[in-house]
Amino acid sequence: MNATTTERIRPADAAACARAVAEAASASRSIRIRGSGTKDYVGEVLPTDAVLDTTALSGVVAHVPADLTVTVAAGTRLADLRTALARAGQFLPLDPPHADAATIGGVIAANSTGFWRSRYGGVRDLLIGTTAVLGDGTIARSGGRVVKNVAGYDLNKLFVGSLGTLGVLVECTFKVLPVPPVSAGAHAQFARSADAFAAADAIARTSARPAALAISGGPGGAWELLLQADGDAAPVERTLDLLSQSARAQGTAAQRHDGVSGVLATLNEISGRADGMVVRAALPLAAQPAFATTAARLEGFTQLVADAAGGIVRVVVRGEDAITLNAADALLAAARAVGGSARIERRPDSLRGRLGAWGDAEPAGLFLMRRLKQAFDPHGILEPGRSAAG
Amino acid sequence: MTVRAGLRGAPLISALTDLLGKDKVLGTREDLLIYEYDGAVDTATPDAVVLPNDTSDVAKLSRFCHQNDVPIVPRGAGTGLSGGAIPVEGGVVVSFARMSRILEIDVPNMRAVVQPGLVNLHLSTAASPHGLYFVPDPSSQKACTIGGNVAENSGGPHTLAYGVTTNHVTGLEIVLSDGTVVRLGGKAVEYEGYDLIGAFVGSEGTLGIVTEITVRLTPLPEDKRTILAAFTTIDGASETVSAIIGAGIVPSAIELMDQLATEAVEAAVGAGYPLDAGGILLMEVDGLRDGLDDAATRIEEICRANGATTLRRAATTLERDRLWAGRKGAFAAMGRLAPAYYVQDGVIPRTRLPEVLRTVREVAQRHGVRIANVFHAGDGNLHPLILFANESELEGVKQAGLEILEACVAAGGSITGEHGVGMEKNCFMPLQFSADDLATMGRVKTAFDPHGLSNPGKIFPTPGRCREFQLAARR
Repeated sequence: MNATTTERIRPADAAACARAVAEAASASRSIRIRGSGTKDYVGEVLPTDAVLDTTALSGVVAHVPADLTVTVAAGTRLADLRTALARAGQFLPLDPPHADAATIGGVIAANSTGFWRSRYGGVRDLLIGTTAVLGDGTIARSGGRVVKNVAGYDLNKLFVGSLGTLGVLVECTFKVLPVPPVSAGAHAQFARSADAFAAADAIARTSARPAALAISGGPGGAWELLLQADGDAAPVERTLDLLSQSARAQGTAAQRHDGVSGVLATLNEISGRADGMVVRAALPLAAQPAFATTAARLEGFTQLVADAAGGIVRVVVRGEDAITLNAADALLAAARAVGGSARIERRPDSLRGRLGAWGDAEPAGLFLMRRLKQAFDPHGILEPGRSAAG
Repeated sequence: MTVRAGLRGAPLISALTDLLGKDKVLGTREDLLIYEYDGAVDTATPDAVVLPNDTSDVAKLSRFCHQNDVPIVPRGAGTGLSGGAIPVEGGVVVSFARMSRILEIDVPNMRAVVQPGLVNLHLSTAASPHGLYFVPDPSSQKACTIGGNVAENSGGPHTLAYGVTTNHVTGLEIVLSDGTVVRLGGKAVEYEGYDLIGAFVGSEGTLGIVTEITVRLTPLPEDKRTILAAFTTIDGASETVSAIIGAGIVPSAIELMDQLATEAVEAAVGAGYPLDAGGILLMEVDGLRDGLDDAATRIEEICRANGATTLRRAATTLERDRLWAGRKGAFAAMGRLAPAYYVQDGVIPRTRLPEVLRTVREVAQRHGVRIANVFHAGDGNLHPLILFANESELEGVKQAGLEILEACVAAGGSITGEHGVGMEKNCFMPLQFSADDLATMGRVKTAFDPHGLSNPGKIFPTPGRCREFQLAARR
């Protein structure tokens, strides 16, 4: 990408955004959509004629606390939204990577989630309304500002994880929740990854619904299971007890850990670190232990971080290009063999162009995705080629 | 109504019989009559009914219909409340009565794979020995099918805390209107590319036909507390809903019933609801047993502070089931009050409940009709039941329903929360969406169903049927 010739567009409202996109469409100029730029490494980032900067689309549009919803401009930073909601004793239950700088639109477009998903839902479950500018400049709304709504197609879902290829998000409405009265943590160390997954599984099968059940491990060392419990004091205590019990059942002991949320936030950032490759797999829950074993045997294996209650496993591999390529093939194949999915979330710069973000497999229903891309972005100007769907 | 040139009547029935065999095709006048209505008020007779045994039957049928320009309308149990299963443009109704099996209960992965004709409640019953259940619990769950739940994105009382159908579907097999079979997703929580499952759930059969569904199963709560609170006025009850949410408590369910509804329910079910109350709240908290009593006590305190005249906490499972039997049987109980009813399904931000319920009362007075209210107050999802006696009143009843929907949209809400748009509200979509919004949905429709054969005449305003409404709106 030649930065000197790349046009920069920074619309301040939906109408200006629509005009800019329509102009680009009529001139067949391609557009990258960028908020804070925290996820420039995600997907197949190709050079574009222009960069549409969303950060002027900023601010909370509507928040009635007792409705448990918030409407926010898409370029608003998640951190700023968190601050605004906290004033009303509420929070948006998403814990994506880069939470300090990421914008709401970027979180949606990249389907960016952390460890809270199985308790609180992912982006797709919390997003109830969107206003987007399609690739021909059409302003399209879907959903609304109410928590239950089946009027028309749920286009919100299409934008989640679309990496900007279907439209520019302008405004979004989310379900929010009261801040839980108590949030506490605990952890336990296991010699084998399988034991850590077994302990996590025992808790995931109860109605405790912990906020996070995360597993982290590296070559040679112990496997750590981290639990965060949110809610009233009594169920939180009981949830911590459940970890003690399930750890004991695997021959180890759990300890309280007041810093669990900080540790989780750090683990969440593994994709953002510049060195090595990160593979992100979404797996059937019971497939995680075998996948972890496969990962740990790979040359170059550096770290594994799992949302064990949700089946999202990220693996960091470092080494020579040949080692990385071999590990990428093995992990993508291992995820797909058990009916899961996987992508290369981050690659060393040396492998850009040689290692595709999505591997060789086509997503199911690719022909439908291509028709949708064509329908929403008829001139093919929005983030061309960035997502698995085009 | 669109007049299509495709194959119809006796030649269609005979061609389908040749294609699929006699035992899968219904075509006599008496057989077809059974399929001309669903849970709503509109009717239309299909040209034929097909009962497929498997996906390949559905694919074969779709290919045939594609080649012969015949609309296809999928049908589960026919409990839908927006005319979703009504063949308004004629064609073939596909009944899933023979595709009703649980294919797999995958306990380790906490998933079930089912056929679309499976009755909702049967899944939870089968999963319960494993400590699991399927969350969406529409009031019709003893009859409605999971395929229908997927089509309508169904809710239910307990979706307040745990989400509606779309939050619990991770995989689908669909058959497009040209017969192409596509398998989407699976047992993991997400897959690469666009979330086609998310677009498909709630599309009311207009994007294609579901032939297999993979759903999330959820661990059964260890325990529950169910509370009944009675208030002198319906305003007292609805203001309490906001007070509970405002206090940072999100129960698993908050249901509201007004006096008229209570009267009917007591006559029919005898759930033990107080008859002198202007409004009743039925609330539940669930999860680990620890702290449930404290949570229930906090809710009761808020109810008391907001003027509750009666507070009752179910002490036994039997008592809880009895309280819920009243709520779940409420629609059926309306027969005690009037020969017929028309149920509306608007949604509003929950803080607007008192004001919109007042508007509902004004609408009732204006049209001289009785309206009972039984609804998911925690979600702001209203279900005004407009009572009537005979067909001649239907136009006025529908007009009252429309005025309620207008009030919902004016309050920042939606024309449907869980019953769907179907052919009941497709003319009203412009109340909520601009022409561009609807055209964008149209692009999705065309991507999946370029020839418009998948359940035509639903969701989108149709020029013929909606002209009258548009004229009225312009006046």
